[in-house]
Amino acid sequence: MSDHKTDNKPDKTAAGKAETTPPNTVTLTIDGREVTVPPNTNVLEAAQSIGIEISHFCYHPGLSIAACCRQCLVKVDKMPKLQPSCQLIASDGMVVHIADPDATLARQQMLEFTLLNHPVDCPICDKAGECTLQRFYFDHDNAPSRLDVAKVRKPKVVDLGPHIVLDAERCILCTRCIRVCDEVAGEHQLEMRYRSDREELGTAPGAVLDNPYSINTVDVCPVGALTAKDFRFTMRAWELMATPSVCNGCATGCNIEIHHKNERAWRLIPRHNPDVNQYWMCDEGRFTYRALRDNRLAGPVIDGLPASWDRALGVAADKLKAALDGDKSKLGVILSAQHSNEDNFVLSKLARDIWQLGKIYLGGKAPVPERADDKLRDADVNPNTAGVKAVARAAGYTLGDKSALERDLTGGTLSALLVLGNDIELSDEALTALAGLDALIVIASSEDRIARRTDVTLPCAMWAESHGTITNRQGRVQRMHAAFPPPGQAMPAWEIINRLGQACDVALGYTHPRTIFKELCGAVDAFKDAEWGKPVRPLQLRFAGSRG
Amino acid sequence: MASRQTKPVDEVPRIEVLDESDRNPGVRTVRVIRPEPQNASFFPATLKGLGVTLKHFTKNFFRSRPKGNTDIETLDYPAIPRSGEAFGDVRPDPETRPERFPDYYPDRFRGLHRLMKRDDGRVRCVACMCCPTVCPANCITIIPAETEDASVEKYPAVFEIDELRCVVCGLCVEACPCDAIRMDTGMHAPPVEERGQAIWTKDKMLETKPVHRKRDATSIATQGGVGPDWRDTE
Ligand code: SF4
Ligand code: SF4
Ligand code: SF4
Ligand code: SF4
Ligand code: FES
Repeated sequence: MSDHKTDNKPDKTAAGKAETTPPNTVTLTIDGREVTVPPNTNVLEAAQSIGIEISHFCYHPGLSIAACCRQCLVKVDKMPKLQPSCQLIASDGMVVHIADPDATLARQQMLEFTLLNHPVDCPICDKAGECTLQRFYFDHDNAPSRLDVAKVRKPKVVDLGPHIVLDAERCILCTRCIRVCDEVAGEHQLEMRYRSDREELGTAPGAVLDNPYSINTVDVCPVGALTAKDFRFTMRAWELMATPSVCNGCATGCNIEIHHKNERAWRLIPRHNPDVNQYWMCDEGRFTYRALRDNRLAGPVIDGLPASWDRALGVAADKLKAALDGDKSKLGVILSAQHSNEDNFVLSKLARDIWQLGKIYLGGKAPVPERADDKLRDADVNPNTAGVKAVARAAGYTLGDKSALERDLTGGTLSALLVLGNDIELSDEALTALAGLDALIVIASSEDRIARRTDVTLPCAMWAESHGTITNRQGRVQRMHAAFPPPGQAMPAWEIINRLGQACDVALGYTHPRTIFKELCGAVDAFKDAEWGKPVRPLQLRFAGSRG
Repeated sequence: MASRQTKPVDEVPRIEVLDESDRNPGVRTVRVIRPEPQNASFFPATLKGLGVTLKHFTKNFFRSRPKGNTDIETLDYPAIPRSGEAFGDVRPDPETRPERFPDYYPDRFRGLHRLMKRDDGRVRCVACMCCPTVCPANCITIIPAETEDASVEKYPAVFEIDELRCVVCGLCVEACPCDAIRMDTGMHAPPVEERGQAIWTKDKMLETKPVHRKRDATSIATQGGVGPDWRDTE
């Protein structure tokens, strides 16, 4: 394949007509249809814009063009040879034939060539059902193998790094994974070695595939050559449902799809958003789904013992009322940068507008400076710091930070706390002081950290289980959709606060996060133009066709 | 519609749609054509039916199979085959007389499931999940796991079929790309007292052998489908 690498010069073709065209569009003809695209669009993308898919393996919209698989050949008038459409920049007046018999035959033969030594062990291949090779085989070739000698064997189950396993036999040598490491992660960790049908992917000398974006190689791999150890063999792609959401791993807010089955998340896959994460997400973010399963609190807890919702809310309300009737300034509320804008807005409204409290703090995980890079990963591992701050700013108060909370706790100026989320990690003295509080009411998804020794713990839904919005570090308000219901009796936090208010004789009256969001948009400047968006039903991948 | 038009006239149902229905859309008036009076009584037909029963009774009673009469309709289930010459003896023995083993069922009869083995005795199934995907009764539970053997990679750590829920459609057998599951045992799902007893486990299905055909429990199909050495370079 390598001898084709330099045979076409798209820049020349594009430049030749440059003077006669208006600078910002190019019009060409594809299979008899006129297409107008921005300049520097390649023919493959131009065809895609009118819904014609040209088969391709090495082209990926988020990566540089390698044009090494030759699967995207098309015929172009006035060009002597077939051209790889991924590398051919569209120019004015270009006439492209995709369905032309010559071009179709060439693509068919390229596919047969790619499949020549392919093991076709789809039954044990984790990519089956979302495999690009499978899909193009059914579209293009659909013929049995004509190979009558033994296939070339290559190593299987090769450990490339902490997260990835390679099956070199299935690799079709498209080099997408190499380019992901080079261009997205910025680390050269994968390489090809040997030549022709013995060519084989492997780690670069002295390297392991351990960059923080390594699992993106699995997403871009058009075949089942790279598999993630985390997901491999647990599930078939077609058994899953996909719900769009936003990663809650850090302040970047990469757009993702939650792939879930039987009310359990199995993997997170990046969703394209040109303004936030393009096509990628980090490995750490992918594993955040585990927290959705582990150690979850399924029912309310009073003094360490399970209780009913009615009793838990009653006890919590009694304690809060006692605190409100006494010295109001000794009641504090902690908002959470781990919770949605809606959850925080409702609690902020209750604490500030209705109870007129002065001590409101911002909770969340401690920043991790060493994970920050100039790509996606942010030091702030809370998804919604910007959102909570915007809510507080609009309500006209400043949020106390962790040190202020610790100071107030150890200084004895707090006697009761209502906490949203259990991610805040306090110093030992503060924890001792916490144990001495008259009332500690925590709305939490699991019983650890601050929720370990409470008076009342109210179990709440996590990010994948409730509708809501979060605001990322750029100030973008992004919508999360509930993929499945929360475990046991847990409820979305806004609903818990709503009920808690009711038990304290405050009628907040929210029935859906949408109504909260509407109010939020009116109240907070940063949300002025945000839209709630349409409800999204989980997409059953089984009926979505192969998305390879 | 097209097929309706090509039907012979005498096959068209004997129900006439009257003209009134055209004037009153939504209400269909039909005229039922009643049988002739002499056929309206069921008495003659009942007697005729009893006659058939009586005929078979006398035939079976006086000329039974053990006496060598093979043209009778009632079968001595489950002891005796449908076809064959001499039946005066006892229940056929599958070991000594495989060719005479009861053969009431057509070759493609779908009985209890069994799982096939590889040559080395390991389970053939690679946990590809095709059968639970296709199963309309949702009664197959597979939990896949990874093996040490790189050429096999994946196997079912758990493979269970709830035979109570199974609708015996055979789609699992059709779907299997590895000839790993078959329904050729010739056995019916036995009655159970508890639901749990109707769940056939992997071990149980691996041990099951077909009752009425002497077949080996290993599959003759080859993984990969082309031949035994399809991947070897030598
Ligand atoms: S990579 Fe695709 S075609 Fe190849 S074995 Fe896997 S699913 Fe089948
Ligand atoms: S492992 Fe996958 S992405 Fe990498 S070169 Fe092979 S086929 Fe392409
Ligand atoms: S026979 Fe049909 S219902 Fe029974 S297990 Fe197989 S696919 Fe399911
Ligand atoms: S279809 Fe065959 S190989 Fe696949 S899981 Fe079912 S029995 Fe196993
Ligand atoms: S050569 Fe165009 S997609 Fe590979």
